[in-house]
Amino acid sequence: MAAKLIKILGNCQRSPSTGSRFYSSQVRKCTMIPGDGIGPEISQAVQKIFATAKVPIEWETVDVTPVRGPDGKFGIPQAAIDSVNRNKIGLKGPLMTPVGKGHRSLNLALRKEFNLYANVRPCRSLEGYKTLYDNVDVVTIRENTEGEYSGIEHEIVDGVVQSIKLITEEASMRVAEFAFEYTRENKRKKVTAVHKANIMRMSDGLFLRCCRDVAAKFPDIKFEEKYLDTVCLNMVQDPSQYDVLVMPNLYGDIMSDMCAGLVGGLGLTPSGNIGINGALFESVHGTAPDIAGQDKANPTALLLSAVMMLKHMGLVEQARIIETACYETIKEAKYLTGDLGGKAKCSEFTNEICAKISAH
Amino acid sequence: MAARIFMKRPLELGKTFRKASTNLSAFEIQHKSPLVKKQQKIPVALYGGRHAVTMLPGSGIGPELMAYVRDVFRYAGAPVDFETININPNTDESDDLIHAITSIKRNGVAIKGNIETKSEDTEVQSRNVAIRNELDLFINVLNCKSYPGVKCRQSNIDIVIIRQNTEGEYAMLEHESVHGVVESMKIVTQSNSERVARWAFEYAKRHGRKKVTIVHKANIMKLSDGLFLETSRRIAKEYPEIEHNDMIIDNCCMQLVSNPHQFDVMIMTNLYGSIVSNVICGLIGGAGLLSGRNYGDHYAVFEPGTRNTGTAIAGKNIANPIAMLNASVDMLEHLGHQQHADMIQQAIVKTICEDNIQTPDLGGHHSSSDVVQRVIDHIVHSDRTW
Repeated sequence: MAAKLIKILGNCQRSPSTGSRFYSSQVRKCTMIPGDGIGPEISQAVQKIFATAKVPIEWETVDVTPVRGPDGKFGIPQAAIDSVNRNKIGLKGPLMTPVGKGHRSLNLALRKEFNLYANVRPCRSLEGYKTLYDNVDVVTIRENTEGEYSGIEHEIVDGVVQSIKLITEEASMRVAEFAFEYTRENKRKKVTAVHKANIMRMSDGLFLRCCRDVAAKFPDIKFEEKYLDTVCLNMVQDPSQYDVLVMPNLYGDIMSDMCAGLVGGLGLTPSGNIGINGALFESVHGTAPDIAGQDKANPTALLLSAVMMLKHMGLVEQARIIETACYETIKEAKYLTGDLGGKAKCSEFTNEICAKISAH
Repeated sequence: MAARIFMKRPLELGKTFRKASTNLSAFEIQHKSPLVKKQQKIPVALYGGRHAVTMLPGSGIGPELMAYVRDVFRYAGAPVDFETININPNTDESDDLIHAITSIKRNGVAIKGNIETKSEDTEVQSRNVAIRNELDLFINVLNCKSYPGVKCRQSNIDIVIIRQNTEGEYAMLEHESVHGVVESMKIVTQSNSERVARWAFEYAKRHGRKKVTIVHKANIMKLSDGLFLETSRRIAKEYPEIEHNDMIIDNCCMQLVSNPHQFDVMIMTNLYGSIVSNVICGLIGGAGLLSGRNYGDHYAVFEPGTRNTGTAIAGKNIANPIAMLNASVDMLEHLGHQQHADMIQQAIVKTICEDNIQTPDLGGHHSSSDVVQRVIDHIVHSDRTW
């Protein structure tokens, strides 16, 4: 009885913002949202790879197609919400946002529902897929809830529209603390705050002040602040000078997509959204309806997002094994899918990774 | 932006509109009513056959680059006299700024470096923004052409960026409603968007450009960027021979780093313009090569393309003078001295591409004075009739 109590208390302990540590023998339940288009096949590929690597995860698949709620508004089905709230960890495939009235952007709805406040996107050059930049190793951390995307707009006078950018101290402190924690846990060296405080003095000034305050608490991590235009200019010329970037919503959106472009596009970039009580990892590419069901899809983005999920959960060793297998498969370039310039099928690519994991 | 001006000086505005219906002299249109559209071409300050141009060196590398411009103009024999005004970055007073603006209004044309505003006080407006807003320089054009001799990742880029220069995210209207919550307003007006779109399409037509891309984020900022997008699309219909499409800013940045050759002319609001111009400058080889032109209805101001102060490299003789020299060439073209402009332009191209005299930021090992000396040598040895 006492042992059970201690075990429960032990489980309740959380390290500040990067997820809970679990005993490796315990099986975790994770919510899986396959998505549309190529979603189901790449989700299956990831599940197969995880099974081969004997990762202690039990998948709970849910569907997030919006349904009409009792109040007449379209929303995510309650079953999906309950599932993620229960499991606190989710993996999401590409979702198709239907065009038309009555449907809010699904991504936005999920973000609001689970209070996801930070978006992390590590961009690393893949050996074996040659782009013009081969020394990229940047992580962009972006504030996910407010900033320019608060959606507060009005037409004051006929022909004059104003859009409000909201920056709060609370959200800025939260994302700054997360950024420094992440840097420390992943053994990175430097955090750069990207801002435009010469023009937007109050708003970006507040963000910058929060970053400075948090930086003072982490003296072992180098902190610098750079203007957005300088970062853009330097990133395109020499990406190796940046390590972790932390920024408000809009700049983060643009910079994270630009960094993804440097390494080869959205089809290869993992992404994670960290929330107050949970985390959702997703692939950010589209649903690719033209190749859906033809076994041509590339599961790399979803796989790397799942690896991020494992690291977040503390299963670092298995994450490393799967990640290494994936990078080696791409480096050998024998089984590459169509978007990387090869002719292999999705299943062949998956089998090759499984083989490498088993051989380990 | 228009609403703010309306609120601040309602009586004057009424007077101006009434006056506009009567006959305003050219002087009055030029100096007293920047909101009223210019009716005829106003001559720029031309005294004794020599143009007078305002020079704002700014801070950082500005003063040394301006000295190079003077040297080059002396050897080229360009009939331009400079009126230099230094703006002290340390004070909060705006006397220098007012003096500078009056001078630009008098001369009509200016060349400037980046003016630093050291004060972090939220009441003090950035001086560069103040100059642009006062003079209503609503267009910023950046003509991005690759130099063949410069080492860079993408070659053969030829993109024109036309960016709205006065409003958008740079309206500098911020307030703290509750402690810890700050709001910053982004203003987009119909009249400004229309002016920019029309200017852009006219430019494309005049210079034989085939395609115009509108860069926006209207999927998220539906009203503001939506207004900009709708206005541009409406104007595009009047130019059926020019192909136009639109692209979301994050997709645009991704495409720029992988395939920049798909773009020709790009129109966008203020902040996106800053981002895209810096990305393209990085692709071409650095901040030291391109020059930007700010146009309003009455005034024109020329400056280096990426508005960097360069404080870290000031005084070390390694700053790249090409951007400022290109700005001076643009200025000579604007004033009508095409022969002088061509001569300096050719000297610059020869120095950078054929002789490979490049400063460290381009991968070379020469100093700025070496580069300028070589440009001057080419000018002195060129054939000219004056």
